[in-house]
Amino acid sequence: MSASSALSRRGFLGTSLLFVAGAAVACSSNPQGTAAAKGAKVTLTQWYHQYGEEGTQAAVKRYAEQYTKANPDVAINVVWGADTSQYETKLNAALLGADAPDIFELGDFRAEMARAGQLEPLDDVYGAAKGGFNKADLDYLTVDGTLYGIKTIDDVMVLYYRKSLLKKAGVTPPTTFAELVDTAKKLTTDGVKGLFIGNDGIGDSPYLLAWSQGVDLIDGKKVVYADAARSIGGLHQLHSDKSVLLGFTTDWYDPGAFNQGAAAMQWGGMWSLPAIEKALGDDFGVVPWPAYDSAGKPVARLGGWTQAVNAKSKHVAEAKKYLQWLWVQQTDIQIDWAVKYGFHVPPQAEVAARTPELKKGAAKDAVAIANKNGISFPAEWTQAMQASFIAAAADIAKGAAPEKALRKAQATAQSALDKQMG
Amino acid sequence: MTVTTPLRGSAARPASAATPRRRRLTERRSKALAFIVLTAPMLLGLGLFRYVAIGWSFLLSFSEARRTIALGNWVGLDNYQELLADERFRDSLTMIVGFTALIVPLTFVASLALAVLVNRVRRGRSFFRTAFLLPAAVSYVAAAMIWKMALFSGVPSGLANTLGALFGADPTPWIQTQSPPLYWIVLVTLRLWLQVGLYMILFIAGLQSIPQHLYEAASLDGAGAWRTFRSITFPMLRNTSIAILLLMFIAALQAFDEFYAIFSTGASLGSEPVRTPLTHLYGVALQDQDYGVGSAGAFLLTLLIVLVTFLQGRILGFARDKD
Repeated sequence: MSASSALSRRGFLGTSLLFVAGAAVACSSNPQGTAAAKGAKVTLTQWYHQYGEEGTQAAVKRYAEQYTKANPDVAINVVWGADTSQYETKLNAALLGADAPDIFELGDFRAEMARAGQLEPLDDVYGAAKGGFNKADLDYLTVDGTLYGIKTIDDVMVLYYRKSLLKKAGVTPPTTFAELVDTAKKLTTDGVKGLFIGNDGIGDSPYLLAWSQGVDLIDGKKVVYADAARSIGGLHQLHSDKSVLLGFTTDWYDPGAFNQGAAAMQWGGMWSLPAIEKALGDDFGVVPWPAYDSAGKPVARLGGWTQAVNAKSKHVAEAKKYLQWLWVQQTDIQIDWAVKYGFHVPPQAEVAARTPELKKGAAKDAVAIANKNGISFPAEWTQAMQASFIAAAADIAKGAAPEKALRKAQATAQSALDKQMG
Repeated sequence: MTVTTPLRGSAARPASAATPRRRRLTERRSKALAFIVLTAPMLLGLGLFRYVAIGWSFLLSFSEARRTIALGNWVGLDNYQELLADERFRDSLTMIVGFTALIVPLTFVASLALAVLVNRVRRGRSFFRTAFLLPAAVSYVAAAMIWKMALFSGVPSGLANTLGALFGADPTPWIQTQSPPLYWIVLVTLRLWLQVGLYMILFIAGLQSIPQHLYEAASLDGAGAWRTFRSITFPMLRNTSIAILLLMFIAALQAFDEFYAIFSTGASLGSEPVRTPLTHLYGVALQDQDYGVGSAGAFLLTLLIVLVTFLQGRILGFARDKD
């Protein structure tokens, strides 16, 4: 063993330790961050999920920069995150750690998060402007009398239909579930299926069926969806008729199947409207999901995105001020965000009224459907409740007894709800 | 090396020659120090990110932890009880045992057959080896997307449906068809495609360590190909086979990626026709944020894997020396 080799070994050790330390430092910096903290005292981290529409990422960065220009003390670090399917999972994990965002988006607002103390009350962010916001949105975001989020866009989901194909088959847009089944069957021809509600043949249809029968998912502190066994049971018929499109390359929230003529009717979001207009011109129309029978009512699901403030943030006051600036005061930004990239409704009535894109054609119909037939998920609804509900519906589509399958799932959901209410 | 050592020992530090014991001690101590310094980062990392995490998760499994990973709200065995009372989780356990019983022998036979065949090829042996191994480098999710969207998509232009159309079959939604459960064709072909190559390579390594003279002797005795395989190749591969079986059992019981990727719809959850324990637990822990029940499930699955491994050890032995 030579002195020189001992030295070089020590040298090697030193370098490797330096390497490890360097790697640790490199890993702890945020690779996705777009920090603009030049001289700013406070940097707020704001999470968005990944919007599919082109230009959205540049837009939210532009809004943030605009705010920093007006308020040089506050920089916004916009983090563009995972797509819809993974976003909530990533967000939930981040909220447990030290690197949690100050402001974040929620696809489905969860009252559970407010009850667990994860969300900051936002009543003072709304202030006097509260009266101008969509009433259904406010109800949705209120937990035990306090507002915990602010809607940035409202989305309505509707039933798109191809006018020419319906005419050729000699049918009109369905107004009851029986008609929907019948129409879908008549529209199914070689290479075209009558109806597309999701690649799994389930999609959001169990919700729509329950609502269209006049049954909600949760009533007060009780889970009640098993009362909709009759309407959800209808899934079996849709499936055994083989009139629903299954296993397409894109799912129901993408207009692909409808635009390419793989389905004559598709349940889809209003956000797809520009793409459908471009592909089909005026050969399409929109209607709500039909009433189950004469005692039911036509329905449409209301979605959209909500922003909330992390209750554990170190800069709650700054975060609230920024949200107020962005989603209450800057009406031009709200219009830009709603209609310049995708197609959504601004939640403030006065702003929506000033949006020319929403005043003509199918868009006008969709807005009317949203106002008349729109229903949101109950805020108490959780992913576990969704999973067992959808699983029961999938079993029913396969041929399981509706009442029994739903009662069983409902019991699990009830115990989850009891835990949540504490 | 050898030139400098006596220099340092005799001329530079003459005193050290007088106390060889102390010198040995210092050397031993510096060796121990080097060992500690060199392995510490690895051990610390392993300890922190693996064992502390496992221990924490074990404690979480006895505690009510919804939307938090803080300990303290102890509930005893409630999480385990809740999970075992959950029919969907029990179904997933039954499913995974059945799946393992099917996929392990299938993968075993396929990769062994492939190894024997590729090993007998005279020309282009390395080409075949590489060709069969390559899929092992593909990620499960990427492969699942190809299977889902290109090969077995429900549209008439999907590869399986295009082939079917040549024989006059109607376009079939492979992944969504429940009766008969065609999705198993998708899942099993995908898994075989991804895994067979890797196990084949392990078998080839085993095959090449079998002494050639055994085969020469067998052929002198006039043994045929099947007889040679049955009496020489297969028994000589015993240890390799046992190790590979162990890997296969664990891989099958931990199935997650392709089940998740093939059936996930991006929007709604729950409509998948089959669930593995891990896809179920992913929903419980990471989507619904119930870390207590999720951890309990992880340990139940671990228990199942340990049990299977133990049983395999009892029946086949763990790669013990051939007697």
